Order: sequence, then structure tokens, then C-alpha cells
Amino acid sequence: MLKLQAWVDGELSKPEAARLAELVRSDKEAAALAAELTMTRGFLAGNEPEFKLPETREFYWNKIQRGIERAGADAPGRQDLPWLIALRRFLVPASGFALVAFLTVFSIGVFNRNPGAGPSTADGHYRPLVEEQTLSEHVDTISYRPRSENMFVVYIVNKDDAADDDDNDAEEMDDAVTQ
Amino acid sequence: MATHPEIPEVSDEKLVRRAQRGNMPAFEELVARHRDKIYARAFSMMRNEEDATDLSQEAWVKGWQRLKQFHGDSSFVTWMTRIVINLCLDQLRKHKRQRAESIEHLEEDLGGVERQMPTVTVNPTEGLERTELRARIDKALGQLSHEHRTVLILHEFEDLEYKEIAKRMQCSIGTVMSRLFYARRKMANLMASWKREQQS
Repeated sequence: MLKLQAWVDGELSKPEAARLAELVRSDKEAAALAAELTMTRGFLAGNEPEFKLPETREFYWNKIQRGIERAGADAPGRQDLPWLIALRRFLVPASGFALVAFLTVFSIGVFNRNPGAGPSTADGHYRPLVEEQTLSEHVDTISYRPRSENMFVVYIVNKDDAADDDDNDAEEMDDAVTQ
Repeated sequence: MATHPEIPEVSDEKLVRRAQRGNMPAFEELVARHRDKIYARAFSMMRNEEDATDLSQEAWVKGWQRLKQFHGDSSFVTWMTRIVINLCLDQLRKHKRQRAESIEHLEEDLGGVERQMPTVTVNPTEGLERTELRARIDKALGQLSHEHRTVLILHEFEDLEYKEIAKRMQCSIGTVMSRLFYARRKMANLMASWKREQQS
């Protein structure tokens, strides 16, 4: 029966449609059902009930305007310039690399001051360099040196990407809007 | 609210371009032109004036925020209609989670009820004036569950294919087909019963 409906709606492939057409020709029940489905489609087409908005133009618009203002979307035309976007795309990773380079140079300097013994204070007491967090507008960098291992680890997190991911989740359903 | 005297003469396309540059009066004119259609779609799905008004207004706010994403692949009003449909579907999903399903609705979803309905052989809308026909269609739509009504609206009035409806309603194509089948059979039977009542 559902295939019969799909045939009425033109949703079947050519071979299947031909098979259903044959069924409708040979089976009275199938023919009656197909006729009913076609008739229902027919009387619905172009006869959708009409509803008028029960509010005045001004009253209706005022709420929309307030909604736009609340959402902070004063101008859809306000958008960053393309060169600014390109520059930002370059600057974000570049600032991350600069930060890594700085931390590496800094840590090498610290290690070289007292090789083999780890960093120490000016009075010669041992001070383990465990973790350091750097905050920037676009990048989070967390670095640490495990005392037992001869290594230095730096994590870089792009804040913009993280924020974008959150936005994408929230907008997932809305992105289904197609034109 | 001051409307520019030239605006009513301007096409939708030009108004959209102006609105995309941040021209609020141009957007307000688009709202004035299409508010009834957007509201009507929301009302047909929600069957409630307050919900329909709120959701249609929310759709216009979203429309303004996303105007940059509109490239004219469809008409502006079609694009706006898709936005309001998505908002209504979201709202219906929230309602569905909150309300307990009736046994009748469960049966409808599982299928089978529509198979017991008699086949309507005589067109029950024959001889009806358009206004009367629309009123009966509206009454019949009001007797369907949200799920059945939505599938019917999206297929018959929005001309969406099974696949697209399934995507929007977040269900399988089989579910869409089964709901559409039930909704059509129920519509035909309701219209036939009202025709019989009228004749007797």
C-alpha cells in the first residue's frame, strides 16, 4: 500500500513504477486505493486554508524589532572585512608558534642555568617547573615539564575553534534551512 | 514606524539586498508583505494563535540574523517559510517530549488503523464552494495528530519529497510514508463522512 502511494507521488524508480502501474491495471482494490489517494491529493492542491495574522502591522513589527535588538543583530551587513579575516587566520597560528618558541627558549635558558638538577631559585633551592598556563586572546597554552622525564610539553588550544565548535552544536538544527 | 514612500513599489529582491546591507525599513516592508503567509504556516502546524504568532516573529528575527546566508536560490518567502517550519518542528518536538502519547496516536504511529478505513470512491468535495472546501480541509487537518498533519502539510503544501520531510522531521522515510498514508486516508474519510451528513 505504501508503494502504491509512492507510485501516486512519483517517488518510485521507472521499473518499480511500471510494476505498480501493472498492479493498478489488474487489481481492483489497488486501483480504488490509488484513485482515492490521487483524489485526496487533488482536493488538497491549491486549497490550503488561509489564516490572517490577528495583530496590526505595528504591533507585530515592534516585537520583531525588539527581538532583533535583544539578539544584538543590528545590521546583517556588519561583517569583518575579508583582509581582516585573512590576517586573523594568519595571526592566530603565528602567535601560537611564537609562544611555543618563546617558552622553548625560556625553558632551555632555565635548564642551562643548572643542567641536570632542574630549575632552582636564586638562593640555590630546588623549584620544580611543573605547569605554566599562558592566557592570550586567541590561544591558550599550557606547558609543563615532568620532573622524572627529560622533556618539555606544550599544549596549544585555539580558543576561536573551541568557540566555533560550541556555536556549531547550537546551530545544528538551524543549519538545516535550505533555500 | 515610518515607511519609505518608494518601498511598496520595490521588488522583494531589491528589498532583500537593501536589508542585507542593514536597512531595517526594507526588512520591515518584507515582514509586512509576507507576515500573513509565515504566520499561516506556523498556525497550520501549531493550531494555536499564540504559538503561531510567537514562532512567526522568532522566524523573522532569525531571518534578519541570517540574511547574509540568503543567496536567492529560492524566493525570499520560501526561505522564510523554511525557517518558520524548522522552528515549529523544534517546538512540536519539545511538546511531544512533554505530553503523554494517547493510545490512539500510538496506534496511528504503529500503522494498521488506516487499513481498516473504507476506500472513498466518490469525490466528497464535488460541488463545494472553494471557501467551504477550505473550511472543511481546515477542520479535517485539525483532527489529525501533529505528526500526521505536519507530514501532510510538508508534502502537499510545501511540495517536499519524502527524503526531505524525513530529514526535517528527524525520522525515517518509512515513517514519513506511513504517516502520509494515514493522514490522506483519514482526510478522505472525514470529508466523505461530512458529505454524507450533509446529504442526509
